[in-house]
Amino acid sequence: MNSTSSKRRLLIGAMAASLVFAACGDDDPASDSTGGGEDPGTTAEGPGTTAAGPATTAAGTGTTAGGPGTTMGPDTTTGESTPTSGGAVELAGGEVFVSGSSTVEPISIRVGELAGEMSGGDLKVTVEGPGTGDGFAKFCAGETDISDASRPIDEEEIAACEESGIEYVELEVAIDGLTVATNPANEAITCLDIPGLYALFGPESEGFENWSDASELATEVGSAYAEDFPDAPLDISGPGEESGTYDTFVEFAIEGVAEEQGLPEEEWVTRADYSASANDNLIVQGIEGSESSLGWVGYAFYVNEQEAMKGIEIDAGEGCVAPTTETISDGTYPFSRSLYIYVNKAKAEENPAVASYVDLYLSEEGLATVAEAGYVDLPAERVTATQEAWAGR
Amino acid sequence: MALATPATGATSAAAVVRQQLTRRSTDVAGIVMLVTLLFTLLVTLAVLATLLGQVVSGARPAFAEVGVGDFLSRTIGSSPDTSGIFPGLYGSFFIGLGVILVAVPLGIGAAVYLEEYATNSWFNRFIQVNIRNLAGVPAVVYGVLGLLIFTEYLDVLTGGSTVIAAALTMAVLVLPIVIITSMEAIRAVPSGLRDAGYGVGASRWEVTRDHVLPYAAPGILTGTVLSIARALGEAAPLIILGAITGLLGDTSMRGAFTALPMLIFAWSGRSAPPGSETTWANSAAAAGLTLLVLVLFFNAAAIVLRNRFEKKRTGT
Repeated sequence: MNSTSSKRRLLIGAMAASLVFAACGDDDPASDSTGGGEDPGTTAEGPGTTAAGPATTAAGTGTTAGGPGTTMGPDTTTGESTPTSGGAVELAGGEVFVSGSSTVEPISIRVGELAGEMSGGDLKVTVEGPGTGDGFAKFCAGETDISDASRPIDEEEIAACEESGIEYVELEVAIDGLTVATNPANEAITCLDIPGLYALFGPESEGFENWSDASELATEVGSAYAEDFPDAPLDISGPGEESGTYDTFVEFAIEGVAEEQGLPEEEWVTRADYSASANDNLIVQGIEGSESSLGWVGYAFYVNEQEAMKGIEIDAGEGCVAPTTETISDGTYPFSRSLYIYVNKAKAEENPAVASYVDLYLSEEGLATVAEAGYVDLPAERVTATQEAWAGR
Repeated sequence: MALATPATGATSAAAVVRQQLTRRSTDVAGIVMLVTLLFTLLVTLAVLATLLGQVVSGARPAFAEVGVGDFLSRTIGSSPDTSGIFPGLYGSFFIGLGVILVAVPLGIGAAVYLEEYATNSWFNRFIQVNIRNLAGVPAVVYGVLGLLIFTEYLDVLTGGSTVIAAALTMAVLVLPIVIITSMEAIRAVPSGLRDAGYGVGASRWEVTRDHVLPYAAPGILTGTVLSIARALGEAAPLIILGAITGLLGDTSMRGAFTALPMLIFAWSGRSAPPGSETTWANSAAAAGLTLLVLVLFFNAAAIVLRNRFEKKRTGT
């Protein structure tokens, strides 16, 4: 009995020691363990964060954040509040439920946080991001107030909404680019056209384990870049089928050529043999992990990981265009898409909180969150168009 | 080993025999076995230590940036630099509580019936086989069940996708584990104890209450600990039930909910907004550490209870 208990003590000691070593071992300069509380020095690090506190002009109900449920600390990075001259937003209290695209989710979350701060915790916004399709299913069943979407609503979804008598207003809020990327060490590839992408990613490319395997197919479907494909392993990573980024990629890169090739509509998909992941970080690891990798991610994610990946220029018939903020917002980069929110008109009518949230979303403060979330701002005239669409609902 | 080695020189035969019997023999197989066993132990410990080390070193930046108190008390949000886990803690705590309040009494009751009251009929054997099978059903399936029954049919009771529905789903998920471990514990009670009770005229309930259950309590508690740990760690049913990971305006029993495993799952795959000091992976690690502490807290409570029962048992 005595010896077992002393062994047990030894074991516990070993575990405790390993914990201590792990905690002390790597000295991360960024994480100073003294920074126990709210450190005023580290909070104002967000891009373009003016050090002003939560907006003082806009909120009618009070300016301090931190009602019982919404405990965003004051002065956090989200406290983006360049006081607007005239456009003060009156925020009503209440609850708003937002569902839909996981791509738009970060914007909606930021606006939701802003709403909580500016209303003193009275405007309670709940946001989830199961995907555009799932979001519309809930939206058209009347379960949500607002649906985030990374593509316009499709015909089936319109029919579903009509059937249950849901009227909505479509509001474009931001632009997202999709980036096809490779390892920075892959010098053979700087630009690809859509037939070339089809030959590498499309349903007919299944089994190609080397870039050069795709050359023949690329020539056949009319790619001008077939000769560039190196004799190197083709390691593909990308989002899984459940992702909106997957749908957009199929729409941009696969559908057109697949149709020309006479494939039936259900085969307008990517090849199945690539490493699919819902985790953007794993996709980046896949692209980083091989010198001749290939993959695609959302532009917002690419911007964060530019050292790890090389964005491939896209040639859609008008020369190679690199994915940059400029080319995406002026529409010259072929792989960009608009992001929308769909607002249930009846709910906006009967629940002032929903209307307040959308008002805030489309205000200057609200749209400032688009860049914070890593997306591209709408050009001014499209902002006006969106605001008019909302005003004229 | 031959004992009859001829004596050489002046050493007597008796001395040789004594030497052969008392010298250290080299048990090669035994040493190999010991080394192998120690090695397996070391590998296990190394894996555990690496895992803990990873979680702790991953969690440090998040705790340093947000602050431990704020991390535990703030709601989830848009940036890992400001996000807390309060709604997750709230959800996980009530899931644990739900399991204790629902699954444990139901499970122990069923186990007592099956072991002490039920006759050995084919029907009862059929039920027992099914309970064992239920313990092996994947958690996702229970998620589907919970979605149908607790969020739709019993909408009035649960209020839809709420922490109540999640707690009930988890309770159903661990119920077979509670039943099986409780049955094993009750079966291990010596039958002499029961016979003695019946011999002095006690009723079946009196014997169960005063003798069988106290004797089986440590084993039952072990099963309870396992089931709570399982319920706190499961993310799959929560995904199906619609736990929120984006933004929760309000934390309440009858509103949208989330739980720690769900946050860990969602955060480990999310990219941080540009300019963040920490990553979502840091927040996920910090949430993981918190979940670990929460599970240890529930476990410690059960172990204290178990030791108390054990002392009582050996004392009488």
